[in-house]
Amino acid sequence: MSLLIDSISKRFGDVQALDDITLQIEPGEVFGFLGANGAGKTTAMRIVLDILRPDSGTIVWNGKLNTELPRDTWGYLPEERGLYAKMSVLEQLVFFAKLHGVKPKAAERETREWLERFRIPEYADRRAEQLSKGNQQKIQFIAAIIHDPQVLLMDEPFTGLDPVNAALLKEAFLEMKNRGKTLIFSTHQMETVEELCESIAILDRGRVVVGGSVREVRRSTGRQMVRVAVQGDTEMAWLGTLDGVRVTRRGQDYTEAEVAQGHDPGSVLKAALSRGLEVRHFEMTDPSLEQIFIEHVGQIDTSERTLAPKAARA
Amino acid sequence: MRGWRTLFPNAWYVAVREFRGRARSRSFVIGTVVLALISFAATQIPVLIDVSMNTSLTRVAVVSQVPDMPGDALALLDSQLNGQPKDPPAHKNYVISWQPDGGLPAAQADLQAKQYDILVVVSQDGPQDVQFAMRTDSPQDGRSVQTVTSALYSVAIEYRLYKAGTSIENIQKVPTVTVASVNGAASSTNDLSTEVSTSLLSTGLIVLIFMAIVTYGVWVAMSVAEEKGSRVMELMLNATTPLQMLAGKMLGNGGAGLTQYGIILLAVVGGLLAQGPIHRAVVGTDSATQFGGLSPAVLGAFVVLFVLGFTLYSLLYAALGSLVSRQEDVQSATSPLMVLIMAGYFMSVAGLQAIDETWVRVASFVPFFSPYLMLARVSAGHVEPWEFGLAVVLLLASIAVALFVAARIYSAGVLLYGQRVSLRQVLKAARVSR
Repeated sequence: MSLLIDSISKRFGDVQALDDITLQIEPGEVFGFLGANGAGKTTAMRIVLDILRPDSGTIVWNGKLNTELPRDTWGYLPEERGLYAKMSVLEQLVFFAKLHGVKPKAAERETREWLERFRIPEYADRRAEQLSKGNQQKIQFIAAIIHDPQVLLMDEPFTGLDPVNAALLKEAFLEMKNRGKTLIFSTHQMETVEELCESIAILDRGRVVVGGSVREVRRSTGRQMVRVAVQGDTEMAWLGTLDGVRVTRRGQDYTEAEVAQGHDPGSVLKAALSRGLEVRHFEMTDPSLEQIFIEHVGQIDTSERTLAPKAARA
Repeated sequence: MRGWRTLFPNAWYVAVREFRGRARSRSFVIGTVVLALISFAATQIPVLIDVSMNTSLTRVAVVSQVPDMPGDALALLDSQLNGQPKDPPAHKNYVISWQPDGGLPAAQADLQAKQYDILVVVSQDGPQDVQFAMRTDSPQDGRSVQTVTSALYSVAIEYRLYKAGTSIENIQKVPTVTVASVNGAASSTNDLSTEVSTSLLSTGLIVLIFMAIVTYGVWVAMSVAEEKGSRVMELMLNATTPLQMLAGKMLGNGGAGLTQYGIILLAVVGGLLAQGPIHRAVVGTDSATQFGGLSPAVLGAFVVLFVLGFTLYSLLYAALGSLVSRQEDVQSATSPLMVLIMAGYFMSVAGLQAIDETWVRVASFVPFFSPYLMLARVSAGHVEPWEFGLAVVLLLASIAVALFVAARIYSAGVLLYGQRVSLRQVLKAARVSR
């Protein structure tokens, strides 16, 4: 009873898009795919959907191969957004639903309900081309879930949304999770992942560099972070002199430092107190996903990070 | 390669969407109306010609200064100028007033007063011959002067024969003309006119198929490229199989194309049917339009070859359309197909002139050319039933192959984005796609 991505490899010409990927995603889980552009996220999703066939490996959901599952098992929100420009919102959502075998009446009811939830009920009869980008994105989300799929795959669903619309989409995520759906999405936005995901996998150049529950991943380095603030000393030059401690960020509120594996984070507090400083803030925490991502992949940038020529990327 | 069993209902839903999208577009509606009007108007051109012919009237005064002119010279001139008498009597373009020698001054005055358009004075030219003097304001190289001049030749020839002693009965006797084919076999008397109308009909039907494939095939390619360009393709890919999309697009666009075609053809047929009544109302006589050579067999063959030919070509159009990312590139991507279509078209036009040549017979079985060439042969009536059957079977077989290949190219092509997609890339992608 889970989604098993088993030893998937896929090659486009000279480029190894996916290199022996293995992942297990539990039903009802919210799962995040992290990775730079070109890391293989979209290819992985397309292979799960059986839009692309892998060179080797299998996809199994609930004990069945994806090649044998009906298409309405999956809901897919592609990264490249598109709708039929000349069709009305209601018309095309009913069309997509019908393709998945949903009765037009039920599809219309469901559509109106979702438009209500997204606070755009009056858009049902507008043509898609008359809608703003953000609103089109909501319509595409509805198109992906209109047939009540068991697994929802979304490629960069939050890209290009303003904070208000992003919040609406997060609500929709939770709604789908409450309905028992399995949600898989890719993103660059680490805060969103920490907010929504139970498990993640970080992909880099077609390989899973780290994966598992968010908690496990954050603990996987064995390091600890401390955040300290003391009265009257924002510099805290003494921090860097401590054994196994490295200052990672200085701020007005607190200074953050990394404590290497095998060292006691509490020693930082002891050191402060032994210096007679008045400690206003002390916190021990795991490294953030952003730090782990940077550690494994390098900079989080939006530039292309791919070995594949653009045309062959799929 | 799944989805063969589950083609419907999704292919149908796609087809309905394509059809509606197409039929609702302004260009479709305007195009259909304009083309139907033009077609209807075109069918009335014969009426217009007849109208202009029938309203022309040239009044000719003939003053004869030749005492022994045979009495039927007026009738001869009339039949030369107006053709053989018709039943019911048709409009005459020339009115002839035959006057004796003494009528010359009056006729000259009437010519001045524009009562006549042409005045012809017939006078003796030696004892055995006549000569003519014509006075007119009509252009000297104009049609009426030319026609009257050649009619006067007949009058002169009749007079010469008469003076040479030939009896009037002998002069007027209709000669016997027999027509036989080259190798001596009996041949129908009307051969030439039937052959002309048959070849006109064949050309017409071939042009119909050609136009449909070129126009509506491009629609299929456009609609594929449009979905790819707007990226809605990616939503479709999870909702349908490539085969369902391919079949739906062909049905929908083909259906819309055939609807437009049907409306235009209705306008043509309606125009042809209305031609008689309109002709009667405007000109006052029946028109001579006939549907020569359009037998049910030819019509049936046309429909079968039309549908199969269109299916084969639009499959290829869909496959090629899936290779481009923007609608602007459709034209260049489909140009190889255009060459193939043009080749078939020109071959069939050339083949009409040489319908029994071996190369025409051979090419009429080749799937990409058979829609044209087999049709040309059928309408020429030089085809055995098994030959037609074989061409249809070969077409069906090639459609099956094309469907398989097109679905592969399509399912690979729709995921490829980029400026140019090479054939090698596609074939590589097609091999590994589902």
